[in-house]
Amino acid sequence: MSGSMTTAPERGHWLAALALVCLLAGCGTKQVVVESEFPDPVMNPLPLTLGIWYDDDFANHEFFDEASGRAESSWLVNTGQAQVELWHTLLRGMFRDVVFMNGKPGPGQMNPLVDAVLLPTVDELQYAIPAHTNVKVYEIWMRYRFQLVTLGGEPIAEWTMPAYGKTPTAFMQSDEGAVRLAAIVALRDAGAHFATTFTRVPQVEAWLNSLPRAGGQTQVTP
Amino acid sequence: MTLRLLLLSAVLLPWLTGCVNATVDQMVFNSPTAGIGDASVVILGRRHASDYETEPGFIRCVGGHIEARDPSIRVIDELEFLNALYPWFEPRTAPLRPTDLEKLFEHRDVAEKFAALQTRYMIWIDGSTVRGDSAGSMTCGIGPGGAGCFGFGTWSDDASYEATIWDFTQRAEVGRISATASGQSYMPAVVLPIPIIAPVQGTACDSVGDQLLEFLSHTP
Repeated sequence: MSGSMTTAPERGHWLAALALVCLLAGCGTKQVVVESEFPDPVMNPLPLTLGIWYDDDFANHEFFDEASGRAESSWLVNTGQAQVELWHTLLRGMFRDVVFMNGKPGPGQMNPLVDAVLLPTVDELQYAIPAHTNVKVYEIWMRYRFQLVTLGGEPIAEWTMPAYGKTPTAFMQSDEGAVRLAAIVALRDAGAHFATTFTRVPQVEAWLNSLPRAGGQTQVTP
Repeated sequence: MTLRLLLLSAVLLPWLTGCVNATVDQMVFNSPTAGIGDASVVILGRRHASDYETEPGFIRCVGGHIEARDPSIRVIDELEFLNALYPWFEPRTAPLRPTDLEKLFEHRDVAEKFAALQTRYMIWIDGSTVRGDSAGSMTCGIGPGGAGCFGFGTWSDDASYEATIWDFTQRAEVGRISATASGQSYMPAVVLPIPIIAPVQGTACDSVGDQLLEFLSHTP
């Protein structure tokens, strides 16, 4: 007889095993890798050459939330690739020139000549799904910390900035898919927030005014 | 016999839908004096509320409804518009009043983009469809002999949307439409669940789309 032939009780065992696997899979770690392309910003670029330095934690940023009970799932949300994509696209549109640094700015570090170097970090990331809140939206909240420093590593400005994204529940959409969409909305919000407030950060504004060539031509905010 | 029953079910099931009640209110402040000609329309969802979000699918549905019934009206896709004018129409930065557009057009690049898109009307839609009361119970089982469900479930859906029309040339709000719809869906199950779904969101989409179409297709 062919190996593919099974009797009814054997088929029952297989179905029971399949059901068990499905149940166990439901309680495993839900992994979300956020990938997206982001649009170029529509704005007049600041007449500056900006250096960027992403540390490893930022470029490979991921968030892990361990399940608090047996009925819940752990979550692993990887935003690193999307973070780099967003900030690369946004900053290229906001500044006349953008240059990637060879190393973290500091005394003795050889880097290309730039006006200042931006060091972004993700301080915190939180998420909420309908199972947590009873509200039919998936939410992602992030807090960024930015440092603007000289080539020698001396601080020019340091500030934090929140970003928020949400997406509604939809028919046939998985939790992972919805969290991924919410993260993309949050990243777009981060870009919008940064682009419209950068020159209004008091320390940045003071620095821009101190540059002889800025001369009031650097306003990009509405 | 079984095959005939299955074929009959396949033909009849798509026609089984629940009943929907819809109400539409229209309040036009400034009727257009002519059709929109070569200009385009953009339909955007408001996403400022914390506890709900206007569904992107609903925005696509309204746009599709307008374009399907009047191919002369060019409706710009929501995401295409948001990307073309990033970051100025994100939930954090989007203008809340028509007068805010003046400030936005101070940016030369933004004004040029608008001119290229030839946008005459911007339509903001705010609202959502929510699941209301539900009742009944259903049990499904799986065993060596097969699988099946038994029981009865029923639930209600309520949709409420408001569309606000901005005219770019006048920098003013020229119309407002609101639509509500509610319906009861049923799911009896004897071995096989039979969903009898009330197309609440679809009815709200048709209601808003028809009213917008009437506004946009207006000729003197």
